[in-house]
Amino acid sequence: MSNEANSAVVRVEGLRKSYGDLAALRGITFEIKAGEVFGLLGPNGAGKTTTIEILEGLRQPDGGVVTVCGMNPGREQAALKERIGAQLQATVLPDKIRVEEALALFASFYRESASIEILLEQFGLAEKRRTFFEKLSGGQKQRLALALAMVNNPELVLLDEPTVGLDAQLRRDIYALIERFREERRTTLLTTHYIEEAERLCDRVAIIDHGQVIALGTPRELVLRSGKGTRIEVSLAKPVSPDRLKQLDAVSDCLEVDGRYILHAQPTALAVAALVRFLEAEGNALLDLHIAQPTLEDVFVEMTGRRMDDQ
Amino acid sequence: MMPSIRIALMSIKLVMRTKVALFFTFLFPLIFLFVYSGIFARGNPEAVVYMFGPVVTLNIMGSGFFGLGLQSVMQRERGSLRRYRLAPIGPGSMVLSSLLANYLLELPTIGLLLFCAMGFFHMPLQINLLTLLILVTVGTFAFAGFGLTIASVANTMQEAQVYNNVAWFTLLFLSGVTVPLPMLPQWIQRFAAFLPATYMVTSFQAIMVGGQSLFDHRAELLVLILSGTSGLLFAWKLFRWEKEEKISTRGKLLSITFIVPFLVMGIWMNERGNLAATWRGTFSLMSHPHLGPGQHDSPVDGIMLNDFESADEPEVLLKTWQVSTGANAGGRSLGEFEVITPGAAGTGHALRFKGFVESTPGFDRGFVTARYPFTLPDGAPSLRGIQFEVRGDTRLFQVKFMPSDPTLPTPTLTFIPDSEWQGVRLPAAWIATSNPSSHKNVLVLEFRVEGPPGAFQLDIDEIRFY
Repeated sequence: MSNEANSAVVRVEGLRKSYGDLAALRGITFEIKAGEVFGLLGPNGAGKTTTIEILEGLRQPDGGVVTVCGMNPGREQAALKERIGAQLQATVLPDKIRVEEALALFASFYRESASIEILLEQFGLAEKRRTFFEKLSGGQKQRLALALAMVNNPELVLLDEPTVGLDAQLRRDIYALIERFREERRTTLLTTHYIEEAERLCDRVAIIDHGQVIALGTPRELVLRSGKGTRIEVSLAKPVSPDRLKQLDAVSDCLEVDGRYILHAQPTALAVAALVRFLEAEGNALLDLHIAQPTLEDVFVEMTGRRMDDQ
Repeated sequence: MMPSIRIALMSIKLVMRTKVALFFTFLFPLIFLFVYSGIFARGNPEAVVYMFGPVVTLNIMGSGFFGLGLQSVMQRERGSLRRYRLAPIGPGSMVLSSLLANYLLELPTIGLLLFCAMGFFHMPLQINLLTLLILVTVGTFAFAGFGLTIASVANTMQEAQVYNNVAWFTLLFLSGVTVPLPMLPQWIQRFAAFLPATYMVTSFQAIMVGGQSLFDHRAELLVLILSGTSGLLFAWKLFRWEKEEKISTRGKLLSITFIVPFLVMGIWMNERGNLAATWRGTFSLMSHPHLGPGQHDSPVDGIMLNDFESADEPEVLLKTWQVSTGANAGGRSLGEFEVITPGAAGTGHALRFKGFVESTPGFDRGFVTARYPFTLPDGAPSLRGIQFEVRGDTRLFQVKFMPSDPTLPTPTLTFIPDSEWQGVRLPAAWIATSNPSSHKNVLVLEFRVEGPPGAFQLDIDEIRFY
């Protein structure tokens, strides 16, 4: 798929962008290697869309260096657009355009284009080929948006929140399509604020918050790097200081998030036993308890003190 | 170029699938045609010819402002331009595609208007189809430029609607599109010379009613092409893909230069001096068929009596026009004729009757009379009187239309002309019952200046029956 199998398809170094007084990006740096599925994970407003739109050439950065497929997106837009495929967070097409017409129209803008028939089949739109855009469901519209991103058979695919607003089944359908990109060794950058999506789809993830990359690596590396053991999430009848919970046996860390307490512990059984004893002694009660392996959410919470879905 | 054509063809396809767009593209203009032709022109085919230009202009304006201009802003606000932005096409392709789609939709509409005007109202085709195509092409291009400029300057739909409505209603009511220009006050007619719709309407009417050529209106066409070109350039340079992008103050100021060609044209048209008379001339021709070549220079054949355009006019003048002065004044008053250039209504020549009034001894007044005898033309039963264009110094003049039968009444009118050409009508119902074949049926048109001693001057042109 790519001629640059061993080199970076995307290079971003010290990327900065402001909207008036608001600094959207404060020096972001990362690289995406050929054939890699790379995720930009972060809450809304973190700077993900601004980053991807700079890579697409839709916005001009205020500072930093950006190279996409060896080109400067700001200066070599026409040539770059021939080599990338992009899906916007919200794709709006004319109401009365048919699915196959949209694909044919956009394919006609490129020097090289994929087969419309194959795209219709691959993206599950063959039965809807004659349907107007206005009559498509949310999931079908999103699949059409993805198919449009593929009309030029791109070597780099940029997907901005491809599953936002879709139900679980539709999200799984989209995941399957993105996993096919990986099988095809097609370099892919996707932005998301869904932990599950990043963990499942991405080879490497950059976690972004307030316009900065706060963690970068494979999902497993990031979780291991946090090194805080099993994640124990509890709800208590009475509030208690996280510092006191942190003193319990086997507990390495405790944070209060939205009235719930997130503890990281190793070994787990020892920590749970210590917690139960502590609550009995305090006259407190355990309302709810979840034990899970740590996730990227834990990494985010650890680094920011907030959940991913907090605004 | 190819992406522009593909987007344009897709846009046309989308219009064909949208009922509202279909209505405003094809049916709405027909409603105007039927209102103008059926109500304003009362089905009179010659008046329909006069109204056809305004109907076409109205349609072209509508497609430029609301079809093209508002659509561009709406697409930007809706976010549908963003998807195109990801493809390897630039603003130029988008602007050109809009222009092309608008033009390709305009042509069948005009064809439909022409078909209905000829089919339902028996409008004579007094325009070469190539001339019509050129006029429509230039007009569509100019108003597309207008619409695109507004779309470039407006940041939101609301803002675009405000700009559109201001321009739309100004052009609609003050440029002859709805109310014929000669029916508007003089100062509005002067203002109308600054409006692009005026150039379209008056060019159409002068060509279709007055029998003029495109070349006679090259200045108007040039300004329309200029405005279309500048609109296109603004739309290209100020093109915005995203609704969040706002136009800079510099951009807005730059777009004001769009009106420069209209300012220059308006000043030039007003300076030419016979603007109102030109439009009035076309207006007065509305109820008469245009005469073919060779018809106008005969004083008795056809409806036109004398327009002073003949090459041997000076000789004809001496034979046909007669001057007489007050006998009691001993012939001391003076009157003479000359052919002047230009004439009324943009014509080449007119007659100047000038001289000096001397008072009769014992009185403080005198007079000079110009008489023009002629025989009644064929087609008299359909005629109702005589009309002409005049201008002159502000003395009191009198015109009489004298029948050959002394028992019939003589219609007489007293008037004071000014420096602008204006039409005068003298109804004479007895024309309809006169016998044109009788050699004795010699009629006389008499102009008379009477009053205190002093110089006088009266320019006369376009003498015709109506």
